[in-house]
Amino acid sequence: MLELKDIKLAYGSAQILNGVDLSVERGDVVSIIGPSGTGKTTLLKCINYLAKPASGTISFDQIKMDYQRPDKTAVQAIRLRTAMVFQQFNVFKNMTVLQNVMDPLVVVQRKSKEEAKEIALHEIERVGLTSRCNHYPSQLSGGQLQRTGIARALAVRPDVILFDEPTSSLDPELVGEVLKVIKDVTSSGITSLLVTHEMQFAKSISNRIVFMDRGVVAADGSPAEIFDSPSSPRLAQFLNSEYSFQ
Amino acid sequence: MFETDILLQDTREILGAVPVTLGMALLIFPLSAIVGSLFALVEYRRVPVLRELVMVYKVILKGVPMVVVIFLSYFGLPAALQFLYSALGIDANAHLMPNWIILVIAITGCVAAFQAEIIKGALNAFDTGQSDAAYSLGYTGSQLFRRVLFPQVALTAIPDLTTSMMVIMKALSLGFAIEVIDIFAQSQLTAALNYYYLEAFVIAVVIYMVIAYIVTQIADRLEQALRIRT
Repeated sequence: MLELKDIKLAYGSAQILNGVDLSVERGDVVSIIGPSGTGKTTLLKCINYLAKPASGTISFDQIKMDYQRPDKTAVQAIRLRTAMVFQQFNVFKNMTVLQNVMDPLVVVQRKSKEEAKEIALHEIERVGLTSRCNHYPSQLSGGQLQRTGIARALAVRPDVILFDEPTSSLDPELVGEVLKVIKDVTSSGITSLLVTHEMQFAKSISNRIVFMDRGVVAADGSPAEIFDSPSSPRLAQFLNSEYSFQ
Repeated sequence: MFETDILLQDTREILGAVPVTLGMALLIFPLSAIVGSLFALVEYRRVPVLRELVMVYKVILKGVPMVVVIFLSYFGLPAALQFLYSALGIDANAHLMPNWIILVIAITGCVAAFQAEIIKGALNAFDTGQSDAAYSLGYTGSQLFRRVLFPQVALTAIPDLTTSMMVIMKALSLGFAIEVIDIFAQSQLTAALNYYYLEAFVIAVVIYMVIAYIVTQIADRLEQALRIRT
């Protein structure tokens, strides 16, 4: 359903993505792992055009775009069918939890306030924040902020949900509550892409693992293939170093 | 040292200038905030050409003493307006423009340069991750501005903007130079008649202090009520 081809992107003289190919089938839960600075987050952001590749193509079901000829309509169409959960949460600070989740439904999807509220309350319950509904972000913990972010992403009913290191800026004791919610989301059948450093978690929820290194996809396979019999020395070395920290 | 009946009588006279002074301040405050916001937006969005013009404007109006700007406006504004009138074929006498309007324009022009810095600071404090989030959900630029950016920037800027209310109050005392009677000018005039200069100025000080106290109280309350949302 989603296919990226030969994505290249540089920030100044630093080549971040060096010809990445990635295809995702409906219902896939794909975890993208790899060393810091190899472009995992950037790749994810290319999908909804928050990062702007110099070249490459994307096709998302019927929507097709060549990044050398960016097309506003295609970008917007993709954005309307995806949702992103950010490392820094990025919830709207001037809105309560409920308003955060409702706002895109009212402003972008033009739903009525009543309908938006109903959907929002349902998603807020799903992430376990019903009691924090009317709190502002400044009154919430990191874990609660991220769960708000997840509820906001779910509420727009995306075809694909993009998780960008959702637990990387959380205090260790808050990671569990967020992972639990993500696991619940991914097991519901929604197509998911997850950039993460939580190896055990990636292994347990994904049906595919993509290992990125130096701006390219260096290995791609089932969790068993990647974790239990790593094909390349680079991957083995990376897994070793990640596990030694855990 | 002070004579009570003189104090009472002077207070009454000087208090008479308070409504006019406050009125002008309450006019200059929103005007300068609006102009300052436009300047700040031009800089934040890096609009070419306009951005350079705003920078030149700010250097000039922050650097030149306000009283000089007031005199320049006093002699320059009506003449410029008259030129405009005749160029457009409008039959009107720009020199009939009341001095208080000239004062309001001059101070608005000066204070706007400072307001622009306050609002620019608030814009820079805005965490842009929220823009990413909004765009990723399909918000347009103007929806992002209306729903997320503007409400937050306004809240961040309000305390500093309110403080600038006091700057405006004080700047109005320069209006004496072009015969606009504010609190300070009135105390000067009152004292000129009875020679109780110290009394008149002490009264002016007390009035300024009361106004400053009220303004800061309002600013504090506002900030406290809004802090939670930023």
